[in-house]
Order: sequence, then structure tokens, then C-alpha cells
Amino acid sequence: MGPALVAEGIGYDYDGTLAVDDVSFDLARGEVLGFLGPNGAGKSTTIKLLTGQLEPRSGRISVLGMDMPRQRGEIQARIGVCFEEKNVYPSLTGRENLAFFARLFGLHDVDLDELLARVGLEERGRDRVNRYSKGMRQRLMVARTLLNEPDVLFLDEPTDGLDPVSARTIRQLIRAEADRGAAVLLTTHDMYEADQLSDRVAFIDRGKVLALDPPEELKLAHGTRSVRVRVRTGEQIEEHVLPLDGDGGAAELQALVEAGNVLTIHTEEATLEDVFVAFAGRGLT
Amino acid sequence: MTSRAGVVRAFVAKDLRIHARDRFYVVVTIVGLAFFIGVFWLLPDTVDETLHLGVHLEDAPAEVAALLDADEDEAGLAVEVFRSSADLEDAVRDGDPVVAGLDLPAGFLAALATGQDASARIVLRADAPEELRPALAAMVRELAFAVSGQPPPVTVPDLDEVVVGVDRAGAQLSLRDQLRPVFVVIALFVEMFALASLVAGELQLRTITAVLTTPARISDVLAAKTVVGTLLAFSQAMVLVVATGALVRGLPLLVVALLLGGILVTGVGLIAGSIGRDFIEVVFWSLVVGLPVMIPAFGALFPGSVSTWIQVLPGHGLVQIMVGTTARGEGWTEAAPHLGALAGWCVVVFALGVAILQRRVRRL
Repeated sequence: MGPALVAEGIGYDYDGTLAVDDVSFDLARGEVLGFLGPNGAGKSTTIKLLTGQLEPRSGRISVLGMDMPRQRGEIQARIGVCFEEKNVYPSLTGRENLAFFARLFGLHDVDLDELLARVGLEERGRDRVNRYSKGMRQRLMVARTLLNEPDVLFLDEPTDGLDPVSARTIRQLIRAEADRGAAVLLTTHDMYEADQLSDRVAFIDRGKVLALDPPEELKLAHGTRSVRVRVRTGEQIEEHVLPLDGDGGAAELQALVEAGNVLTIHTEEATLEDVFVAFAGRGLT
Repeated sequence: MTSRAGVVRAFVAKDLRIHARDRFYVVVTIVGLAFFIGVFWLLPDTVDETLHLGVHLEDAPAEVAALLDADEDEAGLAVEVFRSSADLEDAVRDGDPVVAGLDLPAGFLAALATGQDASARIVLRADAPEELRPALAAMVRELAFAVSGQPPPVTVPDLDEVVVGVDRAGAQLSLRDQLRPVFVVIALFVEMFALASLVAGELQLRTITAVLTTPARISDVLAAKTVVGTLLAFSQAMVLVVATGALVRGLPLLVVALLLGGILVTGVGLIAGSIGRDFIEVVFWSLVVGLPVMIPAFGALFPGSVSTWIQVLPGHGLVQIMVGTTARGEGWTEAAPHLGALAGWCVVVFALGVAILQRRVRRL
């Protein structure tokens, strides 16, 4: 069985302004691919291209072995898209929102109560969405994304601005969907989330993919390992950051330990943000 | 498997539910219908073409008064004799039904009969038609000739009256018939505004983006909006037409015309809803785009004064069919050119609405 999604050299511009530039990657079934980049990097445009909202100016997209946009209808029946905007109908209830989208998929036997329970909205399903909090709307959107048990999930900043409890609920759902066998493309600028959830991470900036690897590999290959040591010197407390790679760091650490004034020692590794800065020359915000 | 009809049905049901939950439109629709229907039945359903004149003749012999009364009905002129100048002036000031009067002083007839100078007063309301002044002056002169026994200075030739086109004399539209199309077009306009709000909401909330990443197509959305817009507009218009008793004749023709009217305002609603980015803009564009539909309806209030530019506006055909069918008993033959024009405008406006909506969706 081939990859769930293949993008080969796709490109797109808005009236001459390049938004996606020769982007290539693939996504396996059961894999979570984190798409990381600052605002305006081209993440959302890439998702629009992959989900058939836009047609690429160049390149080729294959989803579940079908060509996008030529087989858009068949592909869209088997994917789920969660948007950054809270685009639900506020004057309908949560259940009515889900029921409407279920009918667009031609589904008549979806257990809406079970779906609402999965996102923790079982008590609020019959309330109108205009009485929902931002987190509840986001959870409803995730529930909507799962209506058709999609083979490929596109999640655009699914936990943006959510409280920790809502964010954790959604992260658990994403992991569960990947375990079910769904391929998940997750765009975010939350490094922690990407690190926790992604099997691989793609850095995207100015429309280009700068790097694409598992997070651990990226951090090991492009970050620096170090230890942070706090030492008492008379009345003062000094802090030393010592690199673990290379010669000098280990010897200095040994000397500090032998001096007997060490208060704390913490190992530190590079964050994805550090790695992104190393690639892009700027941060994610 | 998703069927196109199933998607459209789902969309229609969803839009009707959202519409029904919008208190503003529910109130406007119900209050508007009740108001229009109430006002319609309060209006007079006949046209009184008789000109009511008051006469005060201080020393009028009985035969003169009888002579004056004899003209009633025959020439659309009713004369009421008053006992005093003050009574005449009061009656003219009230204006119902007397709109003007002749105040002939004591000795007026005697002076005329003996060839002496005589004077009379013409009493007019401030808003009396300008044409009444010379007409009343002519009446006094005729009276003078009759009393003095002298013939008019010229022999009045026989006149043949030729009316080119349909002679509406004696068949003027009542106020009810004039206002019916106005009420119907306003009802259509309200529903057009409701559809525009539905479309604008879909774009502002970007729910249409979510819809278009499912198997639903933009053509399904357009079909559903067309059904909803036409259904709302047509049903409101039909309620008004039925409630104003206009369905006694020409039912199929009226149904076709109102359906076309519904499609026309749906197209206008698509345009306004696609251009407007918030509530105020939707209101503004609804008015701008909707005015060409409404103006001809107000033209029906002034029969015979419809300018050429009004005749080419989108709503003209609809208004003419409504007036012709409900008030004059016209049929398919007379309505054909208006139906053609209305259908043509439907195609143009609807195509424009679809094009603008598609462009907006692509740019989201």
C-alpha cells in the first residue's frame, strides 16, 4: 500500500506573490506529519492545495492514490479538514452542525452522540453553537472532521488559543486517529505540540520546505546538547552552560563537580524552535 | 454515496432552519405581511371620478337649482347648492367631496338678465388642480349666456373623441390595485435581503469553505440558495396575492410571474450577499441592487407617467403583469412581452449573481 498523500513540486502564487514554491513530501498511513512554520510561511495555502480548495499552478498531488484536483469529489469524500477559523454555523446546535455535514457526505447512520462524547461535548450537543466557548467550537470542528472516518486528516492549528484541557483532548484524538491508521497532516506553530504528536516534522518558510525528518533526528542533527550547572561561589550563585559535544565541556563539568559547590545540574537539548532558527535564520513568530 | 439532490436538500433544510431562527427576519416578515394586508383592505377599492362642485346662489330660483342638479352623473359632475358663502367655503375647505365652488352674489342673475355688469367668486382648495380655474370660469360664462338668452359668440362644433390605444376612461385603477404590486415587491425585497444575509453569513463565517472540502460542489450551494431564495420570496408574494384577493383570475399567469420575480430577487440577493462583507454593506448593496426592481412598482402609483427608463428596469415586467392580470383581467397574450422581459432579466441578474459569488468563494 503506497503513501496516503504525495506532493511533488507543487507551487502556487497569489497574483504573482509566491506562496508555495516547489514543495514535495509524502505522508504515510498512520503517520502524523507536523507542518511547522511562522505565519505567512505557506502552511495554510499548502493545505488548501492538498484539500482541493485551490488548484496548484505547478506540480502534482496524489491523495489515496487519486489525482487532486481531477478526482476532487472522490478524494474529499475520504478526507477530513479542520480549519484555523471557527467556521461552524452559530445558530444551529452542535448536533445540527454535525448532522448537516454528515448529509453532505451522504451519511445517515453516524452516531452523533458518540462523536460528541469523543470531544467532550455530549452535554452540550443540543445547545446552539453561539452559546459555545471558543474551545467548544474548536472541539466541535474536530468532531466534524471525524464524521466520515477519514483516511487523511488535515488539521490547521487545531489547538490554537485553547485552554490546556481542550488542547489535550484534541491531541489525544489526533494520536488516536493516527493509531486507527489515518494519515494526519498537522500545521501548527506550537513546538511542544509538534514535538509530542509528530512522527516527522517539516519546516516550511517563505513557501519552501526547509527540512523534513523525525523531530528527534532534527534536534540531534541540528541542535546542540548541553548541561546547565548552578554553582555557589561565596555569597553568589553562578550559572554555567556547558556543551556536551566537543572537548572542553566535559572537562569543565568535571572540574565544577570536583570543586564541590554544585547546586543543580540540568541536561538541555535543542528545541524544534532552535532547529528552525538554525534553518530559517528567524524564529517561528 | 453522496447524491447531488441529497446535498441540495440538506442545504435547503439548513438554510430554512437558520432563516427561521433569525428573529429579525421572522418579525419583519410577519409584521410586514400583517401591515400590508391590513392597509390593503383599509384602502378604497373604487375610483370616484365625479367632480363635486359647490354653488351658492343668493337668490336662486328653484328652476335654476334644478338645472344645475340635472348635470350630475351625466358629465361626471355633481353640484351641491349651499345656503351661504360661509357654508360653501367651509365645504370646500373640508374638501370631501366638494373640491371647488361658485359663489354667486345676490342680484347676480338679475344683473345678467338685464345686461348689467355682474361679478362672481370662484372658491378653490389650495391643492385643487390648476385646470379647475379656467373650467369654473367657463362655467360662469356659460351660465351668463344661458341667463341672458344670448348665444355664445361662436358656434361650438361637433366633436369626435378618438383615444389612441386602450381607453382607460372609467376604468381607472383603484388605490388597492395601485398599491398591490408595491406591497408584493416590498415583500420580495425583504426576502431578497434575507437571502443576501444568508449568503453573506456563509462567506463571512467561511462555512462555505468547510462545505467545499466535502463532496458538496459550488453548484450544489448555488442550487440550494436558488431554491431557498425563490421559495421564500415566492411564498411571501403568494401569501400577499391570496390575502389581497387577487387570485380570482389569471392564477397560472400570476404564479409564473411571481416565480420569475422570486428568481429575479434571488439573483439580486446573490449579488448583494456576495459583495457585502458585513451587515451594513449587505444592507447598502441590497438597496443599490434592489432599487431597479422596486422603482417600477412605485411607477404603478402614477399610471400613464411611466418613463421609458423605468420600462426597461428589471421589475417593470412583473409589475405590469400583476396590474394587468389582477386589475384589468388581461391574459397570456397581453403579458407575453412582459414575461419575456422579466425572464430575460432573471437570466442576466442570476448569471451575474452566480459569477460574483463564485469569484468571492475563489478568493476566500
